[in-house]
Amino acid sequence: MKSSWLKRSAVAALVAASLGGFGAQAAIAAEKINIASLAFVSSAPLFIAQEKGYFADEDLDAEITFFQAAQPVAVAIASNDADFGVTAFTGGFFNLAAKGGLRVIGAQLHEDAGYDGSAILASNAAFEAGLTSVDQLPGHSIAISQVGSSFHYMVGNIADKAGFEIDSIEMKPLQSVPNMIGALKSGQVDSMIIVPHIAKPLAASGAGHIIGWVKDYVPYQVGGLFTSQRNIDERRDVVAKFVRAYQKGVADYRAALLMTDEAGKLIESDSTAEILEIVHKYVYAEEDAKTAYPKIRNGAMFITEEARLNVADVAAQVKWYQAGGFVDASVDPASFIDTSFIPALAE
Amino acid sequence: MSRDIEAGASRVRFRATGFNPRANPLAAWGSFVVVIALWQLGSSTGFISELAMPSPVAVASALWKLIISGDLWRHLSASLQRLFGGWIIGTVAGLAVGFLVGMFSWARSPGVAMVSALFPIPKIALLPLFIIWFGIGEPSKFATIAFGVFFPTVINTFGGVDNVARNLIRMGQSFDMPMMSIVRKIILPGALPTILSGFRISSSIAIILLIAAEMIGAQYGIGAFILAAGNLYQTDQLIAGVVVLSLLGLCVSWLLGRLDRWLLAWR
Repeated sequence: MKSSWLKRSAVAALVAASLGGFGAQAAIAAEKINIASLAFVSSAPLFIAQEKGYFADEDLDAEITFFQAAQPVAVAIASNDADFGVTAFTGGFFNLAAKGGLRVIGAQLHEDAGYDGSAILASNAAFEAGLTSVDQLPGHSIAISQVGSSFHYMVGNIADKAGFEIDSIEMKPLQSVPNMIGALKSGQVDSMIIVPHIAKPLAASGAGHIIGWVKDYVPYQVGGLFTSQRNIDERRDVVAKFVRAYQKGVADYRAALLMTDEAGKLIESDSTAEILEIVHKYVYAEEDAKTAYPKIRNGAMFITEEARLNVADVAAQVKWYQAGGFVDASVDPASFIDTSFIPALAE
Repeated sequence: MSRDIEAGASRVRFRATGFNPRANPLAAWGSFVVVIALWQLGSSTGFISELAMPSPVAVASALWKLIISGDLWRHLSASLQRLFGGWIIGTVAGLAVGFLVGMFSWARSPGVAMVSALFPIPKIALLPLFIIWFGIGEPSKFATIAFGVFFPTVINTFGGVDNVARNLIRMGQSFDMPMMSIVRKIILPGALPTILSGFRISSSIAIILLIAAEMIGAQYGIGAFILAAGNLYQTDQLIAGVVVLSLLGLCVSWLLGRLDRWLLAWR
């Protein structure tokens, strides 16, 4: 009796599949997840996992929602409007993580000495007046987006490691990256730190001078992959599936965009063209491939193998923010980092 | 006769009391105390989560830290300079244009048209332009506040001038008083009550615009402090900053009240 019912439903499933209804049925069976992200190359592993069907392979019906800034992504997870998010770490993120039950489970970008990351730019006027290297920054102004942003941290990190006081640099919070670029171009600020795909064209067009790289002041774990404590408690299997798919995306990203030759120069691999095409659907989608591809390659910063998180560096960042009063003293990094899905990056 | 009236009064209750709310300072402060107590109760019992709204105790301690670290004065002095400078520029320009619009036909229609067209523009939308025109330093902050203050001042000033009794002005003119004398002795005193009540609005607008003015390139200032606290999700400091702004508003309103009494003592 039972076996005949099974047979019949198997036949029904086959018929449905042959009629093209299989996709719809699979979607009903799949677990729905909502991913919050920015339309940046830094989120490329998500786009790759989506387009190459890694989420579908894990029976996940993933929907990617795009945000304009990093912090709304974290807010969306804290408010349970989204399940997973990928963005840069900021003071606001750490405060929200501690208060709002966020859990960092993996890594986004990481600065690596072997790859170009964010660059330190000097304005033309300041460069001509002698600001030609990073150790001359004291006494100059620098554009940041907001107090306690990742830009602010990078300045502090460089100041610490280059051996000067952060107070010797005048911070100019300008709220947005376009404002920062405008202020540098017009010489209203002396310097700024900016991602490579903006820094390189700016320097090439003569709008500023690259005087140093953040990669010379590593380690720096730029951002992370995170979810809510509720998801880990109630849907642990879904989180594990998501992490596996994300890691496959990271592996493809590394294979396509981070291959180097012996001299350390970026080279094209077999999959570069395919991955560029996928990322282009999400990033610089309004531009044609000819202009978009170089930008994507410029913006493809390093991501650690298997998206392993540099836990020690995240703890160091929290400490820096706390010393400046940007993160509450009670925040403990151990309380919002969960390495049970992806092991931490070895020291 | 008098007995009749007395008899009538005993029958009919005195009804024409009007609505006459009396000032009760105790109730004013009491309402604050009750709201804050309920708020603290909600936070203590966990009904209001720390993420949604910090407790009054957390806000008070953030405020206290701000005071003892000396940061409050640094922020306040930066903001007060911008508020005062911007407000003075906007008010002086607004008074001048307001008097012209109120007194001369050639200024009337163009002035009213321009003010009506430009007043509703949110000054924060013009911020990128202010940055191009005035840079990211102090001038763009003064300009943001001055623009916000200018338009309501113009409107109130010409409204006040319009309300000055025409017969007084005509009398001055028949006595062949010089124009400046008419302005100083008749129009200005007559328009002053309206202008002063306009100051209350424009000073509040200046405080509201402080946040916009300090968005760009401000390291210190109450507005910059509130923005930074918001970006960092340090909600206790955010509310502490808002409390400071609100106290600032109360102080300004009290000062304007004194100014009112002093300037309008002749009434």
